[in-house]
Amino acid sequence: MFFKEDIVPQGADRWIHWLAPVAACAPAFICFAPVPFGRDIVPVDLDTGVLFILAISGLSVIGILMGGWGSGNKYSMLGGVRAAAQLVSYEIPRVLSVVPILMLYGTQNLRLITMAQQARWFNFFPKWFVFYPVIGQISFLIFLICSVAETNRTPFDIPEAESELVAGFHTEFSGLKFAFFFLAEYAYVFLASAMAAALFFGGGDGLWVRGGIIPSWLWFLAKTSVLVFVFLWFRWTYPRLRVDRLMQFCWKFLLPWSFINIALTGAWVLVH
Amino acid sequence: MSLIFYVFGALLVLSALGVVLLKNVFHSAIALVMALALVAGIFVMLGADFLGASQILVYVGGIMIIMLFVIMLSQQPVEALQRQVNEQWLLAMILSIAIGAGLAEGFKKYFAYHFKSPGLMPTSVSIGRLLLGEMIVPFEAVSLALLAALVGAVLFSQEQKDK
Repeated sequence: MFFKEDIVPQGADRWIHWLAPVAACAPAFICFAPVPFGRDIVPVDLDTGVLFILAISGLSVIGILMGGWGSGNKYSMLGGVRAAAQLVSYEIPRVLSVVPILMLYGTQNLRLITMAQQARWFNFFPKWFVFYPVIGQISFLIFLICSVAETNRTPFDIPEAESELVAGFHTEFSGLKFAFFFLAEYAYVFLASAMAAALFFGGGDGLWVRGGIIPSWLWFLAKTSVLVFVFLWFRWTYPRLRVDRLMQFCWKFLLPWSFINIALTGAWVLVH
Repeated sequence: MSLIFYVFGALLVLSALGVVLLKNVFHSAIALVMALALVAGIFVMLGADFLGASQILVYVGGIMIIMLFVIMLSQQPVEALQRQVNEQWLLAMILSIAIGAGLAEGFKKYFAYHFKSPGLMPTSVSIGRLLLGEMIVPFEAVSLALLAALVGAVLFSQEQKDK
């Protein structure tokens, strides 16, 4: 990829075309700052960790839009427009699916959220958020579906649908620029998995015994890898959704359910 | 710290000028993205971490993407050029510089007594307390107004469809 020719099409907007991979790639790596990779292994212990990740990861869409517009290509343009519509829509239920966790633990700090989950029910069953009855599962499913959509993975990859749009927004990118787009995409897959591991699966918490032989960072990486596998599993299992179905699914199914889930969590917090 | 502030400030002024002066609408929009992100950076440096993150989430990640979306839908890349000034530009510039200088003077007078740097402290808890405690009435009023705007926008787009 390093040695491939960098082609800039004649109709392209040179600056935008050049900046697009940078704008897509840079936020992906800033997002890893508040991720707790293990007990006491947090690059930056941010008080607003969850909000920070959700805010910064939304920036990459701008790179995709710039790529779509700057290429001067109809397919790229369509891919960019689809990306904007899809990512902005799916960001809303994604943020709302995290709200129950914030309500329950009363903090946005990812490290404190993982610490709060390191307890046991009846002394043996891990008290991770995903095991909270009903609210945990709804929340996790919505988060997982929206993360797949946010990272442009296959059932939701209409911005780059190769059977309709050649390659969508990155049709006109070659060599290292293309590599940067894909680096960003897979960094987001890893980030979404790491977030899910920290938010729903207790971060570096062991499965049965607290503080066993296996170090916490290994638990965290194992959980993250399993979730990355789930992402790839989706990719090879499900067919692509149609554009209008995709939007309907988001606004008419995911959004109401995430509101219902927040209400349920409110009831749970009131009772306890 | 102050070096970062001045770098941010200079970049902010440059990108804000870019928003107004660049010929291409898409370029202006990208400059606006940059300006809003830099404002978020300045918020964070003033100790308002929650405000900075929300600025990026709402303005850069939400509103600007919708604006870029509209530009992409409504304009061909070649036709996106437009004139940036008309005959009144000199008068408008003098007027806006005067207003800006007046505001700066006013702020200087007011904040000379009250403002002291709060330092880098987590702010989300106190913001939550304020919004749902002391400020509950204005907060609810604003959300009601936004809801009304939302319903109004849906209504207007529905009416246009009928014609």
